[in-house]
Amino acid sequence: MDPSVDFVPILGLDMSFKILLSLGDPCDIARASCVSRSWHGFVVSNGLSKQLCLGMFPQLSGVDHVTESCSFKTEAETGSSNTKEWDVLEREHRVYGFLSHCCRSIVDRECISDAISASSTDNFPEEGINNTLEMRDRVGRIASYWSSEGQKKPAVPETLIYKLVGDLCVITEIDIQPFQAYFQTGLPIYSAKSVRFRMGYPKASVDLDSVDQSCHDSTNDKFVWTYTSPEFPMAQENCLQKFKFPKPVLCIGGFLLVELLGRVQRQEMDGLFYICVSHVRVLGRPLSPTFGVDIIEPSGKFVLKALSYTKESLPESSPRRISSLELQRRVRNLEHILNMLRGNVRDVEDIWDEGQDDSDEEFA
Amino acid sequence: MSSSSSSSSSPPCPKKMITLKSSDGETFEIEEIAALQSKTLENMIDENCASTPIPLPNVKGKILAKVVEFCTKHAEAGADAETLRAWDAEFVGVEHAIVFDYILAANFLEIPTLLDLACESVAEMIKGKTPDEIRKFFNINNAFSPEEEEDVRRQNQWAFE
Repeated sequence: MDPSVDFVPILGLDMSFKILLSLGDPCDIARASCVSRSWHGFVVSNGLSKQLCLGMFPQLSGVDHVTESCSFKTEAETGSSNTKEWDVLEREHRVYGFLSHCCRSIVDRECISDAISASSTDNFPEEGINNTLEMRDRVGRIASYWSSEGQKKPAVPETLIYKLVGDLCVITEIDIQPFQAYFQTGLPIYSAKSVRFRMGYPKASVDLDSVDQSCHDSTNDKFVWTYTSPEFPMAQENCLQKFKFPKPVLCIGGFLLVELLGRVQRQEMDGLFYICVSHVRVLGRPLSPTFGVDIIEPSGKFVLKALSYTKESLPESSPRRISSLELQRRVRNLEHILNMLRGNVRDVEDIWDEGQDDSDEEFA
Repeated sequence: MSSSSSSSSSPPCPKKMITLKSSDGETFEIEEIAALQSKTLENMIDENCASTPIPLPNVKGKILAKVVEFCTKHAEAGADAETLRAWDAEFVGVEHAIVFDYILAANFLEIPTLLDLACESVAEMIKGKTPDEIRKFFNINNAFSPEEEEDVRRQNQWAFE
C-alpha cells in the first residue's frame, strides 16, 4: 500500500468537497470528520453537513442561525484557538448533521395535529373541516365530510388549513379523498380540478383559539406561507388520492394549507359548484421534540434549534384523533338541537334515531 | 486506444485525429469526436489550435493514455448503458492513487463523465466505513490527541449508533 494517500491535500478543496458531499449520508460525513485533525478541519470549515442538509431541504435557506440546548464546550478542541466563527461552524456541523440524519431515519406517520379552518363551509359544523380528519366518509349513519359553499363559477378555489404535529416536520406525501354524495342521485363526486399545498407559520399576532373554523377569508392573511408545492391534478374518483412530493419537503412553522383549485361538480338541486372532501392525511416525519424553530418576524428568517441529540418521537396518535368520533357526534347532535330550538327545522328523528339514512341529504 | 489514422482508402470519410502531448513528452492520438468530451480540448479545437500536438503539462503519459482510452470508449456509437457501466466500474477499479490522478486530469481537461465516475468511486471507498477503517484504507495519520479524538467522537455520537 502506498504511503499516505490522503486525497484531501492531493486533490485540493474543490475536488475533495465534491467527493465528500457525494457521500450523501450525513453519518458518513460525520464519521469523516472524526478521521483526522485535517479532515475534521476540512469538513467543519467547509460546512459539509450544512451543504448536504441544504441540498436535501432548500427550505432551510431561511435559517438565520442555529442553537443547541446542550453544550459541547470542552477544553480539548482541535488545536486552534476557539474563535466565535469556529464555534458557529462546529455547532452548524452538529445541528445540520443530526437534522439530516433524523430526516432520513424516522419512519413516516400521520402528521396532522388539528384542523384549523376552511375558506368556506356550507353547513357548519355538520360539514365542517373537522370531518376531514375522519378516514371514513360516514360514521354510523352520519356522513363525514367537509363541504365548501356553492359557487356559480367553477374557477373559485377553496383552502383548508391544518396544524401539524410539531413546528418542524418533513412531509413526503399528502393524501386526499374527495367526497361522493352517496345520498344524491347520480352519486356525484365533489372533487377539485387540482390541488396545491403551501406550508408556513402563523404571524405572531394570531390567536389560533379564536379562529373561525368555518370560514377564513381573514385567517389566510394571518399566515405566512414559505413553501408552495407544484400543482397536482385531482381525479374525480371516490378514493384516497396520493399526492407525493418529488422530494420530501421540510415544513417550517408547522402549518399546512391545502389549496383546492377549480370545481368540477355541480349540485343538481341548486345548480351551484361545490368542493367536498371526505379525508385529508399528511404523511411525514415530525422532528419535534428533537428540533424546534423560532420565527424571527418580520424578516421571516428563523432560528433552528436542536433540543436534544437523541431521537425522541412523539406518541403515535395525535390528540385530535384520540378525542373520539363519539365526542364529535355528540357535539354535532347538540348543534342539531340548538338549530332546532332556533327554529331551523330538521327531523327530530335525526337526533334520537340513528337509523335515519339521509340525515344529511339537504345541504344547501 | 484510438483507431488507425485517416490515410487509407476504405472509410468513406477519414476520422479527424488530434495529437496530445503529456507532461513527460509522450504523444497520443485521439479521434476528434472522442476529444470533444473534454471541454478544454473542445475549446481548443473550436479555436482551431488543434493542428499541432496539444501540450498537457498537467497530465503524465501513463494517465493520459487511460484518459484517451476512456474518451474513445465513451464516444463509441451504439454502446449499451449496461456494458458501459461495467466497463466504467473496471476502469476505476484500480489503485486509489491512480483514481486520484484521473480526478486531477478530468478536472483539468473538464471531462464531466470521468470526473463524476472517479469522484464517485472515491466516495465509495469512504461510505460505511468507521474513521479507523478510513484511516487504514488511505493510510492517514490520525494527528488527534486522545482527548481530541474522544471529544470529536462524542460530538458526532449519533453517527456511530
